[in-house]
Amino acid sequence: MSEPTAPPEHTASRPGSTRTGPGRLLVAIYGLFALSACARAGVQIATKFSHAPVAYLLSAFAGAVYILATVTLAAGSPTARRIAVLSCSVELAGVLAVGTWSLADPATFPDATVWSSYGSGYGFVPLVLPVFGLLWLRRWTRRPKTQRTTATSAEDAGEAAGF
Amino acid sequence: MNGAVATTIIVAGLALAGYALLMTALNRRMNVPLLAAVGVLEILLLVQVGIIVARLAGGERPAGLATLIGYLIATPLVPVAAAVWGLMERSRWGPAVIAVAGLVAAVLMVRLHQIWPVIHV
Repeated sequence: MSEPTAPPEHTASRPGSTRTGPGRLLVAIYGLFALSACARAGVQIATKFSHAPVAYLLSAFAGAVYILATVTLAAGSPTARRIAVLSCSVELAGVLAVGTWSLADPATFPDATVWSSYGSGYGFVPLVLPVFGLLWLRRWTRRPKTQRTTATSAEDAGEAAGF
Repeated sequence: MNGAVATTIIVAGLALAGYALLMTALNRRMNVPLLAAVGVLEILLLVQVGIIVARLAGGERPAGLATLIGYLIATPLVPVAAAVWGLMERSRWGPAVIAVAGLVAAVLMVRLHQIWPVIHV
């Protein structure tokens, strides 16, 4: 899983695009989260930024990552797929880091972000979504191997593809 | 009065999600009954938006007015966007998109109640 320079495949031998099949569902959910995270962050930053600046800025960052993932998954070109892998990886790292941070230091988060407590306010969808995104994007990077190591190796692929 | 509509939307949204997921499980594509159900959900959501707008027009105001207006704009767009995006898919994953719309409609009713508690569920 460590070759970053996989040859650019053409759509003939693959499921049409990252936006078709299960990708249709992924793009829909990503679009939903992009809209809700950005709208929420926008209102919070505009009306009560000083109340919880760290939480609101993280929400805005999460919204930006969701927009990037939505657009790149819907676009589906080889470059877009690489950016999609990167944004899903950032998202997974973000939800794990912010989730842990919000539990360890609740004082910094008087108001919740999308990623607080690993996304429990959103039914843990923020935690599950990047995993499914990376699993889906793996179809274009390498032939699937064992399911057990999928998340980590897909993340490695994402980091490698980002350079 | 508006509690009945919101409750109906929650029940209808969850039923639509269940039906659509069944279609996905059975490997069915988008079909007319599913689209008709989305249309019914859309009408119910528009009625609910109308009820809330009437209350706003009557002079009542929630604490988070901007958030509420955002929800009033976004809510009726959910089934429309799902129908368009789902119809573009010629596989079982079209109904799966519709299932998301049904679940979102139910969640939106709960969120509306949280934003403005006079909106009963």
